[in-house]
Amino acid sequence: MKFRTERDGLLEALVTAGRAAGSRGGGMGSPSIQLSLRGNQLEVTGSDPDLVIDVRTGVVGEADGVTLVPSRLVGDIVRALEPGTVGVVADEEEVRISSGRAEFVVRVPVGAEISRLSQLEGESITLPAARFAEGLRQVVRAALTDDTRAPQLTGVLMVATESGMRLVATDSYRLALRDLEGLSALEPGAEVLVPARALTEIQRLVGSGTDDTPLVFRHSELDAVFEIGEVRLTTRLLRGPFPDYQRLLPPSYPYALTTDREEFAGALRRVRLMVRDAKDATTPVRVTFSPEGAELTVLTAESGRAVERVDGRFSGDELTVAFNPSYLLDGVEAIRSETVLLQVIDASKPATLRGDGEDEYSYLLMPVRVS
Amino acid sequence: MGAGDRRALSAVQAAAAGAPSDILHLDMDAFFASVEVLDDPTLAGKPVVVGGTGGRGVVASASYAARRFGVFSAMPMAEARRRCPGLIAVPGRFGRYSEVSAALMGLLREVTPLVEPVSLDEAYLDVSGAHGLWGTSEQIAVALRGRVHAALALSCAVGVGRTKLIAKLASKAAKPPADEGGTLAGAGVLIVRAGEEEAFLLGQPIRAIPGVGPRSAERLARYGIATVADARQLERAGFVRLFGSSHGNALCDLIAGIDPRRVEPEREVRSIGHEETFASDDADLASLQRKARRMADAVAARCRRAAVVGRTVTVKVRFSDFSTINRSRTLAHPAATGAEIGAVAAALLEALELGRGVRLLGVHVSGLVSRDEGAEQLELFPAASSEPDGSLDAGTRERRLELEAAADAVRRRFGEGALWPPRGDDGGPARP
Repeated sequence: MKFRTERDGLLEALVTAGRAAGSRGGGMGSPSIQLSLRGNQLEVTGSDPDLVIDVRTGVVGEADGVTLVPSRLVGDIVRALEPGTVGVVADEEEVRISSGRAEFVVRVPVGAEISRLSQLEGESITLPAARFAEGLRQVVRAALTDDTRAPQLTGVLMVATESGMRLVATDSYRLALRDLEGLSALEPGAEVLVPARALTEIQRLVGSGTDDTPLVFRHSELDAVFEIGEVRLTTRLLRGPFPDYQRLLPPSYPYALTTDREEFAGALRRVRLMVRDAKDATTPVRVTFSPEGAELTVLTAESGRAVERVDGRFSGDELTVAFNPSYLLDGVEAIRSETVLLQVIDASKPATLRGDGEDEYSYLLMPVRVS
Repeated sequence: MGAGDRRALSAVQAAAAGAPSDILHLDMDAFFASVEVLDDPTLAGKPVVVGGTGGRGVVASASYAARRFGVFSAMPMAEARRRCPGLIAVPGRFGRYSEVSAALMGLLREVTPLVEPVSLDEAYLDVSGAHGLWGTSEQIAVALRGRVHAALALSCAVGVGRTKLIAKLASKAAKPPADEGGTLAGAGVLIVRAGEEEAFLLGQPIRAIPGVGPRSAERLARYGIATVADARQLERAGFVRLFGSSHGNALCDLIAGIDPRRVEPEREVRSIGHEETFASDDADLASLQRKARRMADAVAARCRRAAVVGRTVTVKVRFSDFSTINRSRTLAHPAATGAEIGAVAAALLEALELGRGVRLLGVHVSGLVSRDEGAEQLELFPAASSEPDGSLDAGTRERRLELEAAADAVRRRFGEGALWPPRGDDGGPARP
């Protein structure tokens, strides 16, 4: 294999594909990336058993071929090269990377392998990338990040609705739900459970793209494929059962706090400073609702306390409900409207965050019980 | 001013070059072995080790006479005997060591109340408030050594520095050098002043830094890092990549000489636990699990009495060869009942290789918060799989808590023996 290309394009491809060649790879040796050249088209593939990312990039090809390279090392090398032309020549044993006066000869990793998920053909659907990514931004945050407890909760459920599609994620403490009207990526009645990790990559790939950027989606029973621009991401689907989330949505709420999103988020960020460990679920923020708004209090035995008042309207009697401050902030930050509604029942039933006039999104959150 | 502020301040103070060398680290010389020699003068001057005397035992402590033969702690007993044919190995008497340790800590507290015991034979002192009565840090260190020798007839080394790190490294440097070439008299006291700190630290082997164990040292050696000076070449990101964010950052700070840790005399109770030494070694999983469950009940009762709950359950196992391991699991919710603590302890034991025989078993709960403050994150639906960490769902826990609290009340009134878990509750006979 032999080709020349610009450093920046090659680097971008290596970095993007490298995200799938993480430490999760169960294979031998250090994570590897595959380079495959045909004509002037270079395909860079990173993979682990659950996720494959392929990036195509144009190069000046001189001899077709395929090789594996150690992911991190080659990424570091290309990043460190001066901008300009990079030459790559590979044989069965080594890969020669040269640019200017620098030359690296990297041994081809032995025993490494690139896992391949199924090559999905068949019907594909084109989604508006920016809108889909915005939905992901609102929902992925509620998924479980640690898969030892309940693997099915590390996914986002994509389910076809009558008028579009719904995204749902929950880690059992909170649940985020977003309806995407008129967006039909699935056959009626179908649902797939996509790992949040893959969807985080999709969000990154869409970046600041617009809805004009097409995002092509296909799935089978086992895998799903997303294609955006020159990047194809294939992920293994998770197996359910996903919790029966519809049962969890309270039919009605007696009370609601209406307040400014940024003011509320800012106050939460400030009082949360008293919680040392963001994952510490045992130091709650107590939200005391009163007709003029709410008071946020964090009390810790070790560090002290923080109190802040937030103006707003509350449609009920005085009431205190405690929450994990990070979970509450996650929900507030997910909302797009400038005005948020925090709906509560009592100190031990789920609360819901919504945006004013933003009915397509709900963020359910269980309180923290303080005895 | 909260504890956090004070910590931050002391870091700033310590970083100021003018900070006084007010932290002392006192470390007893060959503590267990020395106590044995003290109690049996016929052993004086002889190569004595404390440790497991069985086939797979290891050395827990070696007298200086034994060290001359190249016998060190953590060495397999068989190897120690090979190196030193006349070796006298005695089994440990931890009750006795604790007794001597209590006397030692008492002596230290006469100098300052700011004494933080680290283990039976090791403590930090903050003498910043003791100068008026006892003189300079150096004078205090020398006096302490004399008092320990006079009162206990045991020797120790004292290191003095601006931080715990420097004090600890200094006490190590003040020890009698004990390499295989022979044992020389140690300085006994070493004070490292602010101006000498950098040179002292740079010359230390990386292995001397707290938190760098044999495995970490081996990893660093692969990068050609053998000393603190070598390690200074590695960037913070490198440490984080090698050791993860929290350990990597902490290590990087220590290597830079940054150690904001204060001497914390009365550490708040960080764990509640129960330990038992068995008359005969126990290698049977079911029997050990039964004992663990019984201890868990006692631990839970003590937690309830103190009105605290904790999220981390630890089992401590000391094997017949004195090697000791701890295994912990942190739960999603604080554990408040013996049933929960016992289930976690039993699961932790199951994952251990117990064939060597267990001499001591302990069950501890840590990460304690007061029950009033200790909050519980409620769940939207019963966790999809609640079995792996042994925590109970909220309803079951509530009922179990009521049950055990009622048992507490009965035991208070009628004595500890009034109630015990029913047969079958833990799959075996109720009483040991």
